[in-house]
Amino acid sequence: VPAPVVEAPVLAAPRERAALKVARRRRRRRRLTGYLYLLPMVALVGVFLLYPAAKTIWVSLTDANGTSAGSFVGLDNFSRLVNDPAFRTSVRNTVYWVVGALVLQVGLGLLLAIVLSNMRAGNWLKRLFYIPATLSGAAVGVIWFYVFNPDNGLLTSFLEAVGLGGLTTRWLAEPPVNTFAMIFAAMWQGLGPAMILFLVGLQNLPREPIEAARVDGAQGLRLFWHITLPLLRPMTAVVVAITMINNFKVFDLIWVMTQGGPYRSSETLAVTMYRESFVSFSVGYGASVAVVLTLVVLLLSVFYLRSMFRRVEVH
Amino acid sequence: MRVTKAAVLVLAAAWIVPLALLVVTPMKSFEEYAGSSQWALPHDPLQLFDNMKAAWNSAGLGPGFLASLSYGLVGAVVAIVCGALGAYAITRLEIRGRFWWFLLVFSGTLFPFQMYLIPLFQLYTDTSLYDTWLGMALFYSAIATPFCLFVMRGFFSTVEQEIEDAARLDGATSWAVLWRILMPLARGPIAVLVLFQFTWIWNDFMFGLVLSTSDGIRPVMTSLAALQGSYSTAGPPVVLAGALVGSLPTIALFLLLGRYLLSGLTLTATGRNA
Repeated sequence: VPAPVVEAPVLAAPRERAALKVARRRRRRRRLTGYLYLLPMVALVGVFLLYPAAKTIWVSLTDANGTSAGSFVGLDNFSRLVNDPAFRTSVRNTVYWVVGALVLQVGLGLLLAIVLSNMRAGNWLKRLFYIPATLSGAAVGVIWFYVFNPDNGLLTSFLEAVGLGGLTTRWLAEPPVNTFAMIFAAMWQGLGPAMILFLVGLQNLPREPIEAARVDGAQGLRLFWHITLPLLRPMTAVVVAITMINNFKVFDLIWVMTQGGPYRSSETLAVTMYRESFVSFSVGYGASVAVVLTLVVLLLSVFYLRSMFRRVEVH
Repeated sequence: MRVTKAAVLVLAAAWIVPLALLVVTPMKSFEEYAGSSQWALPHDPLQLFDNMKAAWNSAGLGPGFLASLSYGLVGAVVAIVCGALGAYAITRLEIRGRFWWFLLVFSGTLFPFQMYLIPLFQLYTDTSLYDTWLGMALFYSAIATPFCLFVMRGFFSTVEQEIEDAARLDGATSWAVLWRILMPLARGPIAVLVLFQFTWIWNDFMFGLVLSTSDGIRPVMTSLAALQGSYSTAGPPVVLAGALVGSLPTIALFLLLGRYLLSGLTLTATGRNA
């Protein structure tokens, strides 16, 4: 039996094993470096966003109030919501907000984008329409709080000057006019972003189908309805989703203009959540409103993300 | 077409009027404002400065202005650094579950903010972060981070691997590669992020309302709401002067750097819904 055949593996194995060990250690160290890079981001987001979000779900299942953490009550808060007239008003107002924003911000935003894309002064007007969007919701609320002043406000004075004084009312005190008034103020702020996104969408439209349709004699409204609008659909989906989601969550504007009043008549889900949690200190109940709000927003986000991914495929 | 253009011009005029109110009303004295319609022009426009000064000194608006300035800058920088470190790990370093780490952090943009309020308030009162500069700065950094991760990850994955490999062969550490090579290349996206996150933090109202209460800690928009609120004695010209003071930084940023802000908007639309 030749000796080296037996000897060689015995000698090689430890060396190989050592090399492997070194390589593994090096890889582990490199991986550790990777996790160290992740750490600050994950810690920040985990402590200040993800942990609170998870905890809210738990709180919504308890009867916590301002002084105690409460005990587990199952879905009681949610069944209480269904029969709460204030919550129903809040849901109705939230629907007003979302539908109103869809019609006004998306509809008007699209029209405006189409007209401005064909206008020479378009660039200046674009900037003008976008300026309100750089203001905060609180500042917009303050401005429109005075615009709707029933004594000498811009709107009341204007209507009186053109002989429509009979239409004036206490804009922010009369439901449901107060909600409509605030939706209008939000449109003043939100129209610019919707318009800009549609302008981006219009710019990125493929040229060929439109040219082809033109050659075939399509013009004006027909061209727009049958060619431009379908091509614009991915961007429309994005604008619709963003507008809906944003208007589901409006808080600062309402809080500054009416605080959800008078008598909780102009609350939306976001305001109801705040009032229950931080004014009435029904913390568990407030958390359940937050969970309902989240469920709706996540549902909308799914549609939105899906349309986004489809957009990626198209590109 | 002429009719639609005229309609757009009318609409533009309607859009200017509330902005004009924001500028013109602070030029009036209280008596002047109360005695006439809001459409009336001011007698003495220089009263603007008196009203702005009065607003600055009421309801903690001035200290809030300075506080928000620091929150906006610190929050944006911290978020970009954290986001860039994370994005570098996710796109370049050897870690397990890259996509899941991304998804975990990015999910922070999906929840409505109401989802954070109660536990944050409890956490802050339990740890004495409540009503402190540090508490506000930490929160603003955290809420700005997921979007920074999204943008930086997108950018890093477009940078060619060869650049990095060459530097590595010359003995550069991952830290050096990130700070000396990748971050300088990312100047454009970083500018957009600073602008966008600063504006967001500056305009925040709700978290300031829930997490702070004293002058100098409370951010500018929450102070503005206090100036306007039912316990305030300031008249409309002073309140609108406050709104004007609080809005000047973001309007100025938009007029100077509007192009970057708008590209940030497009990024948001295609990447984030908050």
